[in-house]
Amino acid sequence: MRFFLWLFLWLFRWLSTWLFVPRHGRALYESLAGAIAFSIVVLAVLSAAPNSIRKYTIRAVTLLAGAFFACEFLYPVHSMPTGADPAHRGNFLTPYVFTVTTFALIVSAWTVGLGLLNLAQLHGKRLIRGGENAIYSAAFFFGLISVGIIGLLQKPHANAINKNLYTLLYTGALQNLDATVFSIIAFYIVSAAYRAFRVRSIEATLLLATAIVVMLGQTSIGQVMTSHFPTAMHTEVIRDWIMSQPNAAAVRAINFGLAVGSLAVALRVWLGLERGSFFDSQ
Amino acid sequence: MEHANTLARCALITFSVVIVAMIFIAGKRDLYIRRIQGLTAIDEAIGRATEMGRPMVCLTGLGINGGIEIVVLQALAIVTYIVRSSAKFAARAICPVYDPQMVPVTEEAVRDAYSLAGRPDRFNPNDILFLTSRQFAFAASVSGLIWREKAAACFLFGYYYAESLILAETGQMVGAIQVAGTPATTQIPFLIAACDYVIIGDEFYAASAYLSREPTLLGSIVGQDISKGLMLLSVLVGVLLTTVCGLLATHGAQIFALWFTQPP
Repeated sequence: MRFFLWLFLWLFRWLSTWLFVPRHGRALYESLAGAIAFSIVVLAVLSAAPNSIRKYTIRAVTLLAGAFFACEFLYPVHSMPTGADPAHRGNFLTPYVFTVTTFALIVSAWTVGLGLLNLAQLHGKRLIRGGENAIYSAAFFFGLISVGIIGLLQKPHANAINKNLYTLLYTGALQNLDATVFSIIAFYIVSAAYRAFRVRSIEATLLLATAIVVMLGQTSIGQVMTSHFPTAMHTEVIRDWIMSQPNAAAVRAINFGLAVGSLAVALRVWLGLERGSFFDSQ
Repeated sequence: MEHANTLARCALITFSVVIVAMIFIAGKRDLYIRRIQGLTAIDEAIGRATEMGRPMVCLTGLGINGGIEIVVLQALAIVTYIVRSSAKFAARAICPVYDPQMVPVTEEAVRDAYSLAGRPDRFNPNDILFLTSRQFAFAASVSGLIWREKAAACFLFGYYYAESLILAETGQMVGAIQVAGTPATTQIPFLIAACDYVIIGDEFYAASAYLSREPTLLGSIVGQDISKGLMLLSVLVGVLLTTVCGLLATHGAQIFALWFTQPP
């Protein structure tokens, strides 16, 4: 068992030092072409494989990847000083965390292309069919192509035109649009609160009273209203007590349950015990 | 990188053993799980959508760190139950997706759900939409979708941030029945104010077991409850020790607390 573990780690170390050496010029393009070709071969093999083999391959990869991170977290650590961090601590798996995480990031980067393909297919069909919403599909392609090209150009060719266009599109347009949608929440909070805070039952009345006290405590008018009362009756003091005592206790209790629940689901997925359409067709 | 200290190591291994053991025991015994009103309301919402002839919008949330995560997969498990139930009644389910990595997973899950319901012909790949990976662009897109399609039911399962209120209020404005479930404690108040039914805390993780009644999943819920009982026991022991040691002016409570706080 120790021999196989040693062999696995040696292979992993050799592969990671060979794969992750920085390359330049012709060697870089050859490596990229090789990586793309390898990925296409792997995808083709997986697609052609029967369902049962694919299922067991996915389970095996999930088990190994989960086992790596679980062991790395649980195995006792010792001092492993590095140049950047003399106080660094880790175990024998810690040096490989970066490599394994990079593998996962590279696989996830492929899926960005899948998302783009999905969008392009949908909006492409709408544009070809025409109709009243085709203009929005045209806007999608215009935005995708323009921001894509400017975003790609503004790093290698960082001239004034590219930088200004990028600033205009990203900071000027996109971030402002984000802020616009975010600011709708202020109005939605009012409408949601108007509907929710009604005197329908004892609990609802208690909720309403607590909400009024907390809201007054957050604003200066509440503090002015109760400034002449004893300190314990100031709205901001009551607000602080409500938020730090009963509210915090309830949130922590929910978080305990969530932590154990997520552990249970993670174990089910990791060990292949999860049942459902996309885990194990019945 | 974070690493476990002694107590975290023992607790994690103990809870894992308990949960896995209960999963294997569950196959041999019938286990009881209490009624969760929000999940019972899912069938009501599907029925409403069928009667009104309007589609349902099923969301799996934004996730915590992006990518394929436990929270999003759990939300997808609930959505596949919804799709499987709705397939029998020919109600259309639209599933907008936030993360591109979830697009193929969601497509396959929804396709399998229709197949399992005996209606593979009802699967429409155009109903699995990747919209965008930007938070408020996603909120605006989904709001527009709910508004245009006049959704009869909205299901908001998964991890949300500030956009949860935008999505829930838009559903409220079109008159949709809304069922939400999130592990995001900061968004629970907004969803409770804007949605008809909300499942909170670990009811979200119990949902797939509750809906499917699979013995293995029910076993994991019982294992979770036993683990929570052990956690509660440690909290009670800590409270008692702190009280008693505080009264007797001894250091016993600090020694107990050190087990929780010592570095790895």
